[in-house]
Amino acid sequence: MIAPGRVVAAADLLIGGFLLATAALFAIAGPLAWPADPMAGSLLATLKAPGSAAVGAVHPLGTDQIGRDLLARIVRGTQISLAIVLVAGVLGAVLGTLLGLVAGYAGGVADAVIMRLVDIQLAIPFILLILLVMAVVGPGIVNLVVVLGVTGWAVYARTARARVLELREQEFVEAARAIGVSLPRMLGRHLLPNIMAPQIVLLTLDFPRLIVLEASVGFLGLGVQPPTPTLGNLIGDGRAFLLVAPWLVLYPGLVIAALVVGFNLLGDGLVRRMDARAR
Amino acid sequence: MIRFLVQRLGLSVIVLLGVSAIVFFALFLNGDPAALMLPPTASRAEIDAYRHAMGFDDPVLLQYFRYLAHAVTGDLGTSLRFGLPVTGLIAERLPATALLAVTALTWSTALGLALGVAAAVTRGTAWDLLVRLVALSGQAIPVFWLGLLLLLLFALRWRMLPTGGYGEARHLVLPAVALGAYYMSAVTRLVRVSLIEALGQDYVRTARAKGLSSSRVVLRHALRNALVPVVTVQAMQFASLLGGALVTEIIFAWPGIGRLAVQAIQNRDFPLVQAVVLLSACVFVAINLLTDIAYAVLNPRVRL
Repeated sequence: MIAPGRVVAAADLLIGGFLLATAALFAIAGPLAWPADPMAGSLLATLKAPGSAAVGAVHPLGTDQIGRDLLARIVRGTQISLAIVLVAGVLGAVLGTLLGLVAGYAGGVADAVIMRLVDIQLAIPFILLILLVMAVVGPGIVNLVVVLGVTGWAVYARTARARVLELREQEFVEAARAIGVSLPRMLGRHLLPNIMAPQIVLLTLDFPRLIVLEASVGFLGLGVQPPTPTLGNLIGDGRAFLLVAPWLVLYPGLVIAALVVGFNLLGDGLVRRMDARAR
Repeated sequence: MIRFLVQRLGLSVIVLLGVSAIVFFALFLNGDPAALMLPPTASRAEIDAYRHAMGFDDPVLLQYFRYLAHAVTGDLGTSLRFGLPVTGLIAERLPATALLAVTALTWSTALGLALGVAAAVTRGTAWDLLVRLVALSGQAIPVFWLGLLLLLLFALRWRMLPTGGYGEARHLVLPAVALGAYYMSAVTRLVRVSLIEALGQDYVRTARAKGLSSSRVVLRHALRNALVPVVTVQAMQFASLLGGALVTEIIFAWPGIGRLAVQAIQNRDFPLVQAVVLLSACVFVAINLLTDIAYAVLNPRVRL
């Protein structure tokens, strides 16, 4: 018999995977299926409602205040937002996992220092710190990726360290230590492979936070600058036209919600899967 | 107990020192804080004069210690835009943010608890699935998007509530709903999972075997234990609550600290931004400290 937990895990994985695959397809194949230019506007087609045709072109999701096609802008925005979040997430995960490995294995002063840095990082509201740094270094995709990535390391360090503390006492680690394995080899070859899976699950569950964070920064106008669209700055720009053109806010938000639900379900499913295996 | 308190206090001080260093050195990320604080049209000579006047040409560590020394006496600098002490500006906006945050946390915790318990005791039924779906969508929707949708429907379309402002209860409704939705979902999910786990424990079986009513078992025995992680997580949420308040206050023109911070960033009023970050970290650290202490007092298994 299949345990009920397995069924729920499978359903979560399936629905989450489906949502994310759809979003990925939307971002990657979107420009091929819908070749409208996300940057080109027409003053004859400003603020057209979804589905309306203007100057010879149909706009399934309508147009914005300078007549740009919203569908094309959402496709481009999804690409950019997803790329930012994926790179930033991996950056934070790698950084945090490395520091967590060192803290857990080396112990002593290194451990104390790294863990205090974790506490410090977690005490500062992410969005405020990100806004402060973005205001100092200036907006831009690279700056945003670095800031989102570097500020996201703390949780990974905490979990990696906790795992390593358990592993450190196990026989294969003692054996490796006994034959005099070098520190980088110990961390990279013996400990890292054993903590990879939970760290990747954590990354999956961290993506929703990053998506919303990136969108919030974009919404407040300190992220990627217009005319380049992101899911957040599309909503920020559309806000002024909320009453006359609600679609400008509605559709980018739906994409954000789909991405967040997708990553959450996928992450939850992976957690259940791992728990089931651990039993 | 005393030892535990001293240790935790010491850690809190270290964390706050670290935060102050990050906040202080963030201004040096682009190389020249003087140029950063002046308008882009400022001439070379003006920037040099300003740098000297503000002490930015002193050794960086000296500047940091000066900043710290002022900070412990309650002087976090002067707003570049308003020309007033930043602490006063923040204190002025504090009640609005506190009101919004407390309202949002209260309704979201109450409803989240009710929904979480309801879902846990009806585990596997359609009702459970419905609650899970509501919780999942509540967590998926960004605060600012929900805020804009509420604004569109209740304020612009149906004209039931004001689009923004401060002072009366009706002004509070939309921002509090927008800000609380995420936490309501988070509490629901957490209570559900945590209560389901508690219900599987031996002491619950014992209580049932004793013949206690099932509502008594759930509410008195299982829920009490299930609440421990909920309280911890809610306290941890505080940092993100401020992030949510930031965008909520912008959308609903709520005169709180979040709006002050965003405007300060837009005006390049860095001393004000620094102070907001530092003070919110202080609140976060204080709340965590209190949670830890409450945790130790309430749960005899936590050793002191």
